[in-house]
Parts: sequence; structure tokens; C-alpha cells
Amino acid sequence: MTPVDLVAGVTGAHWALVGWLSLLAGLLALDETAFAQTWLSQPLAAATLAGLLCGHPELGLAVGLPLQLALVMNLPVGQSLTGEASVAAVAVVGGAVLAGSVPAALGGFHGAVGGAPAGAPAGDLALAGWLLLGAALLSLAGHPLVQAERRLHLVWMLQGRRTLRDGSLARVDRIHGRCLVATMLRGAVTGGAGVLAVAGLWVPAYGALPGAVGRALAWVPVLAAALGLGAVFERYGVARHWGWVGAGVVAGWVLGVLT
Amino acid sequence: MSEAVRPGALAAPARLAVGLRVAVFARLLALQASWNHQRMQNLGLLVCLMPWLRARPRDPERDRLFCRRYFEFFNTNPYLAGYVVGGLLRLETEREDAGGLPRGQAQVFRDSLARAFASLGDQLFWLGLRPTVALAGCVLALTGQAWPVVGLGAAVAAGQLAWRWHALGRGYAAGYDIVGLLGDPRWHRAIAGAKRAVRVLAGLAAGWLLRHAWEGSAQVGAAPGAFVAVVVVALALPAVVRRRWAGEFLVLATGLLALLLAFALGPKGS
Repeated sequence: MTPVDLVAGVTGAHWALVGWLSLLAGLLALDETAFAQTWLSQPLAAATLAGLLCGHPELGLAVGLPLQLALVMNLPVGQSLTGEASVAAVAVVGGAVLAGSVPAALGGFHGAVGGAPAGAPAGDLALAGWLLLGAALLSLAGHPLVQAERRLHLVWMLQGRRTLRDGSLARVDRIHGRCLVATMLRGAVTGGAGVLAVAGLWVPAYGALPGAVGRALAWVPVLAAALGLGAVFERYGVARHWGWVGAGVVAGWVLGVLT
Repeated sequence: MSEAVRPGALAAPARLAVGLRVAVFARLLALQASWNHQRMQNLGLLVCLMPWLRARPRDPERDRLFCRRYFEFFNTNPYLAGYVVGGLLRLETEREDAGGLPRGQAQVFRDSLARAFASLGDQLFWLGLRPTVALAGCVLALTGQAWPVVGLGAAVAAGQLAWRWHALGRGYAAGYDIVGLLGDPRWHRAIAGAKRAVRVLAGLAAGWLLRHAWEGSAQVGAAPGAFVAVVVVALALPAVVRRRWAGEFLVLATGLLALLLAFALGPKGS
């Protein structure tokens, strides 16, 4: 599906879905920093909610699980990069559903792969890997937008200094509310645009990849998850706490046998 | 100009009125909405305190001085901000009939508490509970069911809202005594417990990943031993490299790594 096909071919129901996904992306962008900061804007929860909204919860898990493991150490403590992981997760899941492609999940339950590159094994993780790369790029693309919005907050906040002269409380409330609306709009617009970009460009590009690249993509979800977990071990230390980590590894292996 | 007052010397109601508490709590959730690089949460703090000010008869000079007190730099952990906001409301209420809280006193109370709670919040929430919940969600996702993940999200959201509601009331009730709360050893026990949970859950996810690397090597076209070895190396790599990259860069680096490995260990390379 090319972007032209996508725009020409989408029905009212598809546009409604894009609208709902944009709304979800806007709400999650709010949740990330501006309002409430529940756990729902984390990549796994965001992708799962998007999957449920699209009627494909398994797709939400297929993208959300490795993305969450890779991004688990993205903490707001001394970070220099502020990506938009929740909006990216929604866009990738929504875009894949809109393009009719549902990848396999990490480690088991298999979905149908739409438009897989020649040579990529059926029911593999390749599409999940491709979507994961797309989510990482979209999240990185969100960084300058978040920074631009924060610069705008600064401009607005400085307008609030007038209240220090005239004591107008309503102005402060208005500025704060304007910032909330700006965040919501940023999330909704980038989320909607992301859904269309993934459906119209990213997923169709997957089918055009050489077979060898398709095969390599199947490694991505597993390796990204492993690197993310490695980052956890690096930060929290394994050597001094090998007992707790070891107990976890054994329990995880047993869980792997059972599931 | 208001005079300095001995902490706790003036009377104030022991609890926040319910209506006022609800209004402040709702605004507390949006503390970071106008976050900016220069003064961070200053406008958010002022907006949180506004319902208290609005409940008083309008006095432009008093309002102007009130806004001036709280328009300065402010930054703390959003989950623990309720203690600071509650404490400030208590101090403002105590000094209401004495010309308002002196600017320096408000500044010292606000800044010292904000710093202490920011540091505590970094350890407890950002480095403790957030990764714990994220990894617990991943473990639940391994079952292949979406609803446990959503259920966990809802439970965490409800829990943190309850915590923030309690923090606001506790901060108001304690006033200056909130400093004593910072010395409670339960904070440090909770931090240690959360970090231990992170290690166990990360180990659990790693064990599951290794098991499925062993079983699912056919999916990537590599021998089981080779795939498991690659996963072990990937798990150890960040500790060896000792560089902390954002997760997005890890995913992109994985794309390049995967390309190399697929050629080296895949069906054509092996």
C-alpha cells in the first residue's frame, strides 16, 4: 500500500480509527509528563491500549513487550533525550493494523505476517523487528518536538510575570491550561501523522526489503530486549546481587518452559 | 512587609477542607504541565496553590505578593510534591492573619523540601518503582494476555493517585514537622526493596528470553547454542561497554547488530 493508495483506499471506519488513535496518543502524551504520570504512558501499556483499541491486543503485546524491555532504563533522571515512546508505540501499532499487518510476538504466539520480504520465515519475528525500528525512529523524531514545546512553555511562563505586577490570577491559570492543550495537541497530531506514516510508508517498505535483511530483522526484538535488560543489570549491578538475579533467571527459565 | 514568625506559632485548621483539597489535588496532577527549562515547575506550583488564594476575598496587593513568592524556580518529584504543597498551604494558612508568609521563609521551606523530596523521589519512584512496574508488566505480558497488563496499569494509576491524595493531606497536617517525615527509615527500606524487585524481575525476564532463544532459534535461522550465546553477550554488553544510551539508540544499534549476526550465523553464513 503506497501513501496514495492509503489515502484513497481508507474508509470512514479507518479514519475513525485514526481519530481514536490520535486521541489516545494525545492523552498518553499528557500522561507522560504533563498530567497524572500514571504508568499507562509506558511503551508496553501504550502499545497494549492501542492494540485493544484496534481489536488486535496481540499486536500491542508483540510491539510493546520488546520496546518496553529496550526502553526500561529510559528514566527521567539525568536523561538528555526525551523521546516520545508512548506516541510512537501507538503510531506503530495503529499503522500496522491499518496496513493489515500483524507480526508475531516475542517468544511464541504467532500471527500472520502480511507482505513479508522474500526469504523471511513465515510467522517470524521479522515484522515485529521492523516495527520496533520504526517505533525507535518515531520516538527519536519526537525529541525536537518535545523540546520545542518546552521552549514555548518558557515563553508563556514569562508572560505570567505580568501577574506579579497586576495580581491577575486568571492569567496564570490560562497559561497553564494553554500548556496542557499544547501537549495534548502535539501528541494527537504526531500520533495521527505517525499512524499514517507507518501504514503508508513503513509497513509497505517492509515488503520491499531483501530477504537477508528480513531474516536479520527477526533478531531485532530478541536482541533489543536483551540489550535493554543488560542496561538494567549494568545500572543495578549483578556481581553484588547475583543471588537475586540468579533466582530470577531460574524462575524465568521455568516460566519459559511452562508458557 | 510581613514579619518572620516562629514555626507553628499560629493556629490553623488541622485538616484541609475537602473542597479545597480536591481542587488542589486535581491541579497537583498537572504540576508539570507548564514545565520549562528555566524555572521548571514554578507555574505548576502557583496553579496548585491558587484554589487556596481564590477562597479568600480578592486583594490585588496580597495576590500579587503571593504570586511573587511562588513564581521562582521550583522542582521536585511530582509524586511527592503533595507533601511540599500541603506544607506550604499550612504555612500560608497559619500566617494568613499576620500579613502572609514572608518571602524568605516560604523560599527556604519550599526549596529545602523540594530538593529533599526530589532526591527521595529519584531513588524511590524513578529508579525503584517505575522500572519495577515496567518489568512486572513485561512478565505479565509473557502470558500473551493483554488484560493483565492493562489491569496492572490501572492498579498502579489508582495506587499513585491514592498516594498523592494522602501526601497532600499529610503535608498539610505536618506543616513544619514534615522535615521529620523525611527521616523515616521506611523510605530507605522501600527503595532497597524496589531495587531488589527490579533485579529479580529483570533476571526473570532474562531467563525467559534465554529459554525462548533456545527454543525459537529456528525463527531467526541460527543454531540454538549460537543464538543463546548471542543473547548472553547482549545481556552482558552494557555492563562491559559502561555507556548509558537511551533505549531508542539501543534498538537502532540492534538493527545493525542483527544484520551482521544474520549474515554471520544465519543459514547462509553458518
